[in-house]
Amino acid sequence: MTVINDNISRRRFLSSAFMAIGVGLGVGTLFTRFGQFLIPAPKPKRFEEILIARETDIPAKTPLPIEIGGNKALLLRTDDGLVAFSIKCTDLGCLVSWDSSREEFVCPCHQGVYDKNGKNISGPPPRPLDRYDVVKKGEMVYVKVAV
Amino acid sequence: MVVKLKEWASERIPLRLSLIDYIQEPVPDHLNKFWYAMGATPLILFLLLATTGILMTFYYVPTPEGAYESVRNITYGVYLGWFIRGVHKISVNLMIFTLLLHMIRVFITRGYRKPGELKWLIGALVLFTTLGLAFTGYSLAYDQISYWGSVVVTNMVGQMPVIGKPLVLLLRGGEEVTGLTLLRLYDLHTKLLPLVIVGLIAAHILIIRVVGFAKVEGGGGEHSFYPDHALKTTAIAIGLLIIIVNLVAIFPPAIGQPANPQEVASNVAPPWYFSAIYKWITIVPREAGLFGVMLFFALLTVYPFLDTFFSDRGIKMGRVNIVTGTIAVAGFAALTLWQVVG
Repeated sequence: MTVINDNISRRRFLSSAFMAIGVGLGVGTLFTRFGQFLIPAPKPKRFEEILIARETDIPAKTPLPIEIGGNKALLLRTDDGLVAFSIKCTDLGCLVSWDSSREEFVCPCHQGVYDKNGKNISGPPPRPLDRYDVVKKGEMVYVKVAV
Repeated sequence: MVVKLKEWASERIPLRLSLIDYIQEPVPDHLNKFWYAMGATPLILFLLLATTGILMTFYYVPTPEGAYESVRNITYGVYLGWFIRGVHKISVNLMIFTLLLHMIRVFITRGYRKPGELKWLIGALVLFTTLGLAFTGYSLAYDQISYWGSVVVTNMVGQMPVIGKPLVLLLRGGEEVTGLTLLRLYDLHTKLLPLVIVGLIAAHILIIRVVGFAKVEGGGGEHSFYPDHALKTTAIAIGLLIIIVNLVAIFPPAIGQPANPQEVASNVAPPWYFSAIYKWITIVPREAGLFGVMLFFALLTVYPFLDTFFSDRGIKMGRVNIVTGTIAVAGFAALTLWQVVG
């Protein structure tokens, strides 16, 4: 390799280093701002209670399919009381369905299985099914949805 | 007349216009063997993809409401639309396949050795960008298979250590899949990634021109790029076109049910080039599996430097490459078959 100039003065080195740091910071800031532009900041969530059903109308052992905020969910009586489960599998986002004979939620993509309390019991899912908050007002059942 | 025109142009654009001189550089004789002339194949396919892709952008509508109908229109309504989309679809599969073949050849013959390390490194980036292009394009069809295939792949990306989360946010334009997501996939597919890949391909070719082709042991003799090698490449291009036209006729493009985010497709599966990774992460613990995939790609990218490191310590990398290459190819093929067939 040909060395063109290995005798750089201190002044030259310092000015080059100063410029390099300046360019680095400038480009870094620019790309951070680009990143912020491209990834929208999460909006503050506001929750709304949506009326789902009268409690006495909810079957004992089969989940009630409901649709909240454009997403499907299953309302089920569990050991923790009434729970609205998101049917989005916590593994890769496929949709689970209820297997009434086994009383389990099953995901068709990778055979992920959740028990009736939504706990992941076999297959790849890393965590239990997500839940929506359920609120009871008298006989009426409401589900909290982010809007 | 032509001479006058040439003079007129060269006075205004004072570049050397006689391209022929420029491309008459000698290339080594081993490039006559088909196996060594594979590098141009993905390039030819890329040109086909760019042409057919640009044509389709005149009809495609990148919104969740309009995407499916516009693809349907391209496939069944527009004159020769089925053929354009068919060529695009077949070409992307062939491009990935031939890129893999080209990489395997370079790997086995160790064509990436000094001074060719950057050729390999940029080539690896070309492969990753092509996979990115293939995935974003796959998602645009917006039928059930494409929609759910892209859901599982984006979630798979999201689970990757360190880079997963920001990458998914960037891809989706937020936490959830929205109309912005499709627009982003479309933008990536038709603007950003094509720009990147054109730059990478240009750099790859530039380095080949500056550094020259890799030397092959026992090889000797040279012939000129034009017309000898150009003729060979043209023959390959014509052969490819014949294969593609036939494949499009045998497997014309189709479109399934419209994407329904509320109803999971009965047979969710990613395209074949992701099948091996998809199968791999379902048979090993998820995080370890994804870490393994990232490590594999990282090692693949810097392999020329690993080769030098081990060769300097007396390890015969020629043999190592044959063994590791065979294991990698057999593993990829087995996992892909397992996912696709089983």
